[in-house]
Amino acid sequence: MAAQLGKWTIMLDGTSLPERSYIGGKAWSIARMRALGLPVPPAFVVTTDACRAFLEDSELPAGLTDELAHGMAALEVATGRKFGATTQPLLVAVRSGSAISMPGMMDTVLNLGITKAVQTALGEESSDVLFAAATHRRFREMYARIVLRAPPGADGQAIPDAEDIPSDPHDQLAAAVRAVFESWNSRRAKRYRGHHDIPDDMGTAVTIQAMVFGNLGARSGTGVLFSRNPLSGAPTPFGEYLATAQGEDLVSGSVTPLPLDALHTDMPEIHERLIAAAKLLEAENGDVQDIEFTVQQGELFLLQSRAAKRAPEAALRIAVDMAHDETITRDEALRRVNAEQVRALLCPKLRPGAADDAELLARGEAACQGVGAGLVVLDADTAEAEAAKGRDVILVRPTTSPEDVHGMLVARAVVTASGGATSHAAVVSRQLGLPCVVGCGDAILQSLAGSQVTVDGGSGSIFQGILAVDTPDERDDPRLIEFGAWAVDASPLTVFRSGEQPAGDILDLDHAPGGELVENLPELFKNTKAASGRALLSDAGVAAAVQAGLEFIVLPQTVPALLAACAAARENERM
Amino acid sequence: MNELHLVLHGVAIKKHGSAQAVADITGLKEETVAELLKQALEKGRVAEANSAYMLTPAARMALDGEYSRVYAELRGDASFAAAYDIFEAVNRDLKQVMTNWQTVEIAGKCVANDHADKDYDAAIIDRLGDFHERAEDMLDSLIAALPRISIYKDKLLSALEKAEDGEAEWVSAVKIDSYHTVWFELHEDLLRILGRQREE
Repeated sequence: MAAQLGKWTIMLDGTSLPERSYIGGKAWSIARMRALGLPVPPAFVVTTDACRAFLEDSELPAGLTDELAHGMAALEVATGRKFGATTQPLLVAVRSGSAISMPGMMDTVLNLGITKAVQTALGEESSDVLFAAATHRRFREMYARIVLRAPPGADGQAIPDAEDIPSDPHDQLAAAVRAVFESWNSRRAKRYRGHHDIPDDMGTAVTIQAMVFGNLGARSGTGVLFSRNPLSGAPTPFGEYLATAQGEDLVSGSVTPLPLDALHTDMPEIHERLIAAAKLLEAENGDVQDIEFTVQQGELFLLQSRAAKRAPEAALRIAVDMAHDETITRDEALRRVNAEQVRALLCPKLRPGAADDAELLARGEAACQGVGAGLVVLDADTAEAEAAKGRDVILVRPTTSPEDVHGMLVARAVVTASGGATSHAAVVSRQLGLPCVVGCGDAILQSLAGSQVTVDGGSGSIFQGILAVDTPDERDDPRLIEFGAWAVDASPLTVFRSGEQPAGDILDLDHAPGGELVENLPELFKNTKAASGRALLSDAGVAAAVQAGLEFIVLPQTVPALLAACAAARENERM
Repeated sequence: MNELHLVLHGVAIKKHGSAQAVADITGLKEETVAELLKQALEKGRVAEANSAYMLTPAARMALDGEYSRVYAELRGDASFAAAYDIFEAVNRDLKQVMTNWQTVEIAGKCVANDHADKDYDAAIIDRLGDFHERAEDMLDSLIAALPRISIYKDKLLSALEKAEDGEAEWVSAVKIDSYHTVWFELHEDLLRILGRQREE
């Protein structure tokens, strides 16, 4: 085999495609992309054989150190850069990778190979000493946290102890490889394997890949490309590009990226190549791709390609479009959209224009979308008391804590004076699907008290009065109608829209004792043929109905329940 | 330590909790908690509804006034204070993990995580596990000074392991002892012990 570097390592040049169990999922993807003729930063892999040898002897197998040096030499040739050198230095990313991903395995260490001298060289090359310093700092933090497993200090960061990080890049590499192998026997990984019957001797591979830089001059940059629009689902590529920047800049949001057209203007041939790659990868993988790429001195590199995350609208449109053009089957299309996504599509929204004449009382950070209206109360106990009388309440608090949860459970929306998107109020509201606006300022506690308001969690606005709200109807969306029909064919359970159900005995869970709790459903469903009620609005509720073999259920909207029923049937089959 | 204080403290944290929930979080025996809650109910210190308890406003003020005396020694313990500082620092990371669990950024737009992407979810649960491991030394320092904190540590690990085993609700669901629920209760406990205010 041409790609074999030695007993323990393989060059991922696309000339062969070894088993996943031998090189791990990440290396396999790299090899496959190379085999498809796509530009991927050069990489080699230490196989799971080496891991098994390490696990037996608790030391790196004989010859591996030499092979690592050969592998690095091969990367040097492929990149024209040099590991540990003070001109055009080569840095690498080290990743664990097993055939099955599991918790507890070592995270990626980026920028390995950087030292004080290398930092200086990188600073000169990029004409950006701050970037070089940040690259070095990032490596030290990652190495300390991931390889040395240093505990966090008072600033929450792992504290790198200078003398614990080897000054020789080759020693850094050997230590990182060792840390990957050791992570195979981390407590979490072992427990996970035990629970999922994964053999302990499967082992992990280690992928070592050249880092590429998007900030080496004007003909460099970084970006992401989606093979279709991930927000709308429109079948046109969608992307962002930032010239002379590194991936971190894009992720951190410190700089605003430009639409992909910017790349088209700067380097049309690269743009064309990228679009072609996206098309190829989408066809090969049968799903919309999210591709991270970097252009280094006029050369395109694809860093990663994976199935794109998508907004609910896009999930539906893409699944229907791909089933139409027979890229995927209808069954597969039904797997690509889950009940939660359709629920999000059918979530109540402010009626268009309803807020136009309404007085905007306050504005904050949108923490959870949805609309809720009612009377403002300032503490959880009052919220509970008012809700018990059947009133719709909006809980407004300075911040929330566990003591407020009982009030949040009965509120129609939650508003806080301070705190951001990660605050307790935001986390709990999202968990409850409760409209939430945070960080509106201390003044709201006084100004809103006792008012009737409408909270729009999507825009972060609080309006005076009770505004009109529309609940989208699944029968108004042609795509949802077609998709719903496929779901009817596949669902093990019939779902009637409220008002369209046949006459007969139907258990109303809303009026059955304990019927609001999913854990009571198996008992309640005994000797029952049909049911309705709010407990069936959750996936778990529908799964209980499938499990109990109910003939049908009755709900205001059918598609979410049909999808949940299909998912429950698949889950039963898998068990 | 005064058991009644601990019970009322437990009620403050597990607001609307049952005697069992209070016993669970304080490490006291359920019979002891039930008995003390009965007495507290008679004296008007707690109110009860459907076997769930809450402090009355007067008892709440009295409780808040007791912490400085009950935890006087702990408030002067430098190692406890240092561990608490680390708690506050890593608390930001935990909140970020929770936010990434619930929301995802799609092409620059923040949308709810619909949990359709199993790989994404697995990666976040892995991050939570990594977070837990990094927090362990800090938790052990807290436990060394106040042994009952080990209850939280055990509950955190239990929630993490359930999430790892595929029961995703144990990451942040509200009505169960999910990782987020327990972490926040621990936070509340520490704030009360040290007489600090929550900062968002």
